[in-house]
Amino acid sequence: MKKYLLVMLSVLSLSFLMAQERTVTGKVTDAETGEGIPGANVLEKGTTNGAITDLDGNFRLAVSDGATLAFTFVGFVTQEIAIGNRSVIDVAMEQDVQSLSEVVVIGYGVQDKKEITSSVASVKSEDFNKGMVNNPAQLIQGKVAGLTITRPGGDPNGNYTIRLRGVTTVGANAEPLIIIDGVIGGSLSTVDPNDIASIDVLKDGSASAIYGTRGSSGVILVTTKSGKAGKSVVDYNGTVSFDNVARTMKFMTADEYRQVPGMVDLGSDTDWLEQVTQTGVSQIHNISMSGGSGSTTYRASVNVRDVGGIQINTGFSQLNARFNLTQKAMNDRATFSMNLATTTKDASYGFTDVFRYAVLSNPTLPVMFDPTVAGLSDVGGYAERDIFDYWNPVSIANQSINDGKDMRLLGSLRAEYDFSDVVDGLRGTISYSQQRESDMRGQYFMKTAKFQSANLAGGLGGIAQRATEARYNQLFESMLNYDQSFGNTDLALLGGYSYQEFFTEGFGMRGAGFITDAFTYNRIQEAQQFNRGEGSVWSYANSSRLVAFFGRANLNIGGTYFLSASVRQEGSTKFGENNKWGLFPAVSAGVNITNLVNIGGVESLKLRAGWGRTGATPNDSYLSFLRYQGVGSAYVDGSWKPAYGPSSNPNPDLAWETKDELDFGLDFGVMGGKITGTVDWYQRVTSDMLLYVNVPVPPNLVGQTLKNIGELKNTGFELSVNWNVIQTSDFSYTTSVNFSTFSTTIINLDDEGGVLYRANMGSPGQNDTELVRVKEGEKLGQLWGPVMEGVDANGVPIFKDLSGDNSYCNCDDDRTVIGQGLPDFTIGWNNSLTFKSFDFNMFFRSAIGHDLLNSYRGFYENTESTTVSSWNIVNTAAYDPNIKKAVVNSSHVEKASYFKLDNATFGYTLPSKEGAAIRRARIYVSSQNPFVLTNYTGIDPEIRYVDSGENGGQQDPLSPGIERRNTYFTTRTFSMGINLGF
Amino acid sequence: MKNTFLKKISVLALGLLLFAPACTNLDEELFDTVTDKNFLLTEEEQLAAMGQAYTSLQALGNHANIWSISELASDELVVTTKGGDWYDGGVLIQLHKHEFTADNGFFNNAWGSIYGGINTCNRLLYQFKSLGLPDELLAELRAVRALWYFYALDAFGNVPLVIDYEDVSIPSNEADFQTGRTKVFNFVESELLAVMPLLSTSTGTDRYGRMNQAAANALLTKLYLNAEVYTGTPQWQKTIDAADAVIASGFSLMASYKENFAIDNTGSTENIFVVPYDRVYAGGFQWVMMTLSYASSNTYSLTSQPWNGYAVVEEFYNSYVDPAQNPGPQGDVWTGLAVAPTTGTVDNRLSNFVVGPQYNADGTRTEDPGFEGASSAAPDPDGILLNFTPQNNEIHPNGWRQGGARIGKYEYEKGGSNNMSNDFVVLRYADVLLAKAEALWRLNAADPAALAIVNSIRTRAGVDTFAALDANNLYAERGREMFAELTRRQDQIRFGTWGAGWWEKAVSGPTYEIFPIPQIQIDANSSLHQNPNF
Repeated sequence: MKKYLLVMLSVLSLSFLMAQERTVTGKVTDAETGEGIPGANVLEKGTTNGAITDLDGNFRLAVSDGATLAFTFVGFVTQEIAIGNRSVIDVAMEQDVQSLSEVVVIGYGVQDKKEITSSVASVKSEDFNKGMVNNPAQLIQGKVAGLTITRPGGDPNGNYTIRLRGVTTVGANAEPLIIIDGVIGGSLSTVDPNDIASIDVLKDGSASAIYGTRGSSGVILVTTKSGKAGKSVVDYNGTVSFDNVARTMKFMTADEYRQVPGMVDLGSDTDWLEQVTQTGVSQIHNISMSGGSGSTTYRASVNVRDVGGIQINTGFSQLNARFNLTQKAMNDRATFSMNLATTTKDASYGFTDVFRYAVLSNPTLPVMFDPTVAGLSDVGGYAERDIFDYWNPVSIANQSINDGKDMRLLGSLRAEYDFSDVVDGLRGTISYSQQRESDMRGQYFMKTAKFQSANLAGGLGGIAQRATEARYNQLFESMLNYDQSFGNTDLALLGGYSYQEFFTEGFGMRGAGFITDAFTYNRIQEAQQFNRGEGSVWSYANSSRLVAFFGRANLNIGGTYFLSASVRQEGSTKFGENNKWGLFPAVSAGVNITNLVNIGGVESLKLRAGWGRTGATPNDSYLSFLRYQGVGSAYVDGSWKPAYGPSSNPNPDLAWETKDELDFGLDFGVMGGKITGTVDWYQRVTSDMLLYVNVPVPPNLVGQTLKNIGELKNTGFELSVNWNVIQTSDFSYTTSVNFSTFSTTIINLDDEGGVLYRANMGSPGQNDTELVRVKEGEKLGQLWGPVMEGVDANGVPIFKDLSGDNSYCNCDDDRTVIGQGLPDFTIGWNNSLTFKSFDFNMFFRSAIGHDLLNSYRGFYENTESTTVSSWNIVNTAAYDPNIKKAVVNSSHVEKASYFKLDNATFGYTLPSKEGAAIRRARIYVSSQNPFVLTNYTGIDPEIRYVDSGENGGQQDPLSPGIERRNTYFTTRTFSMGINLGF
Repeated sequence: MKNTFLKKISVLALGLLLFAPACTNLDEELFDTVTDKNFLLTEEEQLAAMGQAYTSLQALGNHANIWSISELASDELVVTTKGGDWYDGGVLIQLHKHEFTADNGFFNNAWGSIYGGINTCNRLLYQFKSLGLPDELLAELRAVRALWYFYALDAFGNVPLVIDYEDVSIPSNEADFQTGRTKVFNFVESELLAVMPLLSTSTGTDRYGRMNQAAANALLTKLYLNAEVYTGTPQWQKTIDAADAVIASGFSLMASYKENFAIDNTGSTENIFVVPYDRVYAGGFQWVMMTLSYASSNTYSLTSQPWNGYAVVEEFYNSYVDPAQNPGPQGDVWTGLAVAPTTGTVDNRLSNFVVGPQYNADGTRTEDPGFEGASSAAPDPDGILLNFTPQNNEIHPNGWRQGGARIGKYEYEKGGSNNMSNDFVVLRYADVLLAKAEALWRLNAADPAALAIVNSIRTRAGVDTFAALDANNLYAERGREMFAELTRRQDQIRFGTWGAGWWEKAVSGPTYEIFPIPQIQIDANSSLHQNPNF
């Protein structure tokens, strides 16, 4: 039908052309490369008279006088040129960065960016953070509105805390679900940052609902680089970097300390910080080869990292290898792909105690024992003092070993078959993957060390510990896809089944009392403690399983209306007997407004709305049972026998947490597509949160039960804008900003009361002091304490009476909210410039409005006699020698808003010749964290989403906003590197 | 036509094949956990389960629990705030000053231990009854439960009576305090009397650390001794009868007082009921950490550094060495600032204390490098040398680090860890004897039998006998004999000295003769009535 119409029209137009026509020729080229563009459209405007450019980009068209030609090609900016009286028209077309058919990875597949109806963000590898990046999470830090990635302090072995859209849960796992090339629950430690092609984040409920009971905290999809057919390339990247201490806690120098009344002068002048820190030198090498021909493509890479930490004797070295292979078969109907990745890491962790006692050390204390100084004891040659809570930090760093070896293996196999010859549009996929992780740890504390009482332990001294843990999971999934078009409507259906099994096991032992330090932890059977029945040995194992059925339908009506609906029925062994299965539906819709209405200056405008329900599972298995555990030994009939008793109340109704989220969004492109962006507003309600609540001790067996009881509401707003300010062949400047704000309110905590006080300050002397209040109806993140009004004659702080009874009672009636641990808003701002062969990138990050409770100041910023005689004193601007008592109060809560330059990179691409052996060469220098603007006097003004507790080892999401004394110092990094392509 | 149909079928079949391995089994597999589904099935496991009834008593040797609240509120012990250490929100100071508040965490720990023990006994009684285990074991469980209710009755008074594991209704207590307290008293009495014939009469090693008739009678003795305080009606004659039943069981006073508290005190003829502890098998007895100084690890070669907390109140310590209060042979004793020995009564029971200048294992003087210097708010009177001085300066904010004599009652092991191996004495023969003496004296102040008993105690202690008994010297003798054995608070309330002032405590009212029910419990259970005036 169409063919006839065209012939008729061309005959008609021919008749018109007879009148005044001439032939125009020309060449259409790509403005950037100068090469011809085959297949571009040349159309005489106002008519249907057109031509297509040939393989070299040439065209020939007969047009009438005074015609205007329109040149169009997918991915390039349309150009309209009036021919005037020219007969040769050459056109150089600019790449249209914005309307390149962008494909975004969503759950179980990909979707055209234009069709997306949920809130999804995509970051490509060219937009990743630059510099020395060892952890994949660091690549997108600050790049996605609503996604906060923090690692307080600069511990190279430390983990990042990833939170999407603030706080969604407090009981269950609050980290987003990570999916690596389709493997659900993959660990980021199996992927090297150099191998990642893009990271897509499913932000709202309607997008993550297809992942069911684990989608509440968001979903992060990592796609690794794959080979391209026809182009065999080898790439090498090398980086060298230097890390130095950026921020620590401000304590006194020896001279300042000597002015403090009650000080103990031990004669020396020691710079403890210098003793325990070093410049961390690191190298990263990455080599990758990819290519393929015809139906086989592959990519293989090897990444080697050798990282030095800023604490002496710390760092790690890591080897990662990856192999991705895709092969088509059966007339290209079947596609098989295999991904294999393995990582081995050797690390020396050090101790946060080294930094803590370095800043706390009396600056007049010598490092090594000096018999002429009174009050010192000699332990292993180091100077030690017999006071509460102090150990020589140089001794800890040099006389303790804290090692680990990690092994990771992730393998997946996938087979896809196109059934289109049988049923048009039908595809089936089966995939299987396995992930194996094993951690081995060893610690040894020498016979000559005072830390951990190692010199006394087990009688002879020396403590050794060895532990290992292995985690396996295997995933099996099968899916059917059906894609069909009916008229102007495209339909995509998906149905599938997923089965995932997890198993964790581990064992360890700890013993003390060795005749020599020479074995360290390698001959633990000789520990004397074992001969006396002391020391400890343990092992454990647990497993869980997830089974799910899922389905989705996507509708695209004329490229204008989009509809998506999905559902997942999932069950987990972790839930109680009565609640194993749950249903997680979602629906979202979008309208492409520019297809309906023509708004001046607006290239694209899409309105979308979505609603979805997701869940969150508890971290551990077996929580719904009445469990028994050993409760010591009872003396029966002249000997000790083990005693057993209940350790948890049964709860057969234990279920997942549910989060319902409503999201409204707008995607826009204005100013000729130069400015694009998205705006999102969301509201999420998390209910049935898993919390331990106090229960009356009779009739329950144990004083606390894990129940689904809490409710949390989180509302937020996100904006991200990208602006291509200038784009010419010599110079370009792009800037992008993302902004997000959220507010979390506790709706319900428990059956009565509705107030929790948490986060103990710690010792010395401030045990039983709760720093955080969580109250129903109030925002999360309240720091709690007394308000300081002044100091009395004895140096005791005077606290304000808030209850109206004219006296300060040491109780909650006279305490109030003294700070807010969560920020008002966070911003990420990226600037990229290119000038000829130079490129320059600067990325800023900022968080405004959050407070931090500075623990060091709460303990050590006073002239209390024991404090002064035992440790060093904090010396910030707030130091007041009249305060002679350590009581944490409002004066220790500081505004921690910051604005920092996160990374800045300057690079130069060497000119390349066509056909040269080295296809691409670029050298660069980069700096990370060169400056931070903040009024906070502590170590790191970064937001603390979880509290690690007064002794570390915890992760309490109900107590944000506290900087603890085990915070690692922050670092400033300078790196240089080279990228080569062969 | 047929072809496409076949093709469609085969596609459908393939599709089903994809789903065929669909497994929907969500049963848990257990590896390192036992639940009520796979435990308590064999006899050995049941005896292991019963052991928990006794291990629950290990809370008695812990800091911040039943023993702490009773002792720190009495005039025996105190924990001062030493600069930045031990303030802990004021919970320890409020105990000394009798300014108890319901949100003091120590009360909740005590309540939790008590009801944890009661719950365990109830649960075991329920499980064992249906399994048909011997009556003697059931009787032991009821006796242990009666002991827990005795502690609850003594500390909190009006507590809910929870005795049936199958009863899952919300427990409540009486609206009126005295009615409730009497009800609990009656329960403890009736339980002990009911199980008495079923308990073992043996007092040998096969019953060591377990409830037997002697222990039940000793507990009855203490119960009746305090009957007037608990119920308003004294029961002096019943006290005497119960004590006589214990005396008939064959206990005797040890020749050496301190042998009862040695590291291995299993051979004591005076300990009626103990909680066995062991540094390897049963930790939790931590007095060595709670009372000794940070530097004392050098004195005893300890493997952990002590916490420097509990100290003896000077007035109480002086009741031993002051010849006016305690007549006896005079010799060198440490008093006041312990600069040089002074002359005072040398009572054998001074082994209850670690006092005076301290020495390292190698014979040199122990030093405390953290001592308060000359320019500090409360300078240490003798500088760096560690000397436990009976005299203490203040409770807050700068108590001397070395202030106060320390608890030395239980022998400390050289090379010991933070868990002591001594067995904790709960019921002792000397206590029963003194209870009988007091009951006799209450009935007849001139009774010679009462005087004889008290003098036998004094003779064992190596001091002079009394000529006659009056309230003061009887009260003081009980204090000296039973130091730190959870009796002082009961004695003070009984003899009416609880409200008086001592050291940093002012005169206080009768409200504080009972501890408040913890606020957390009141919040968790709305049918609980708080004790009067809290």
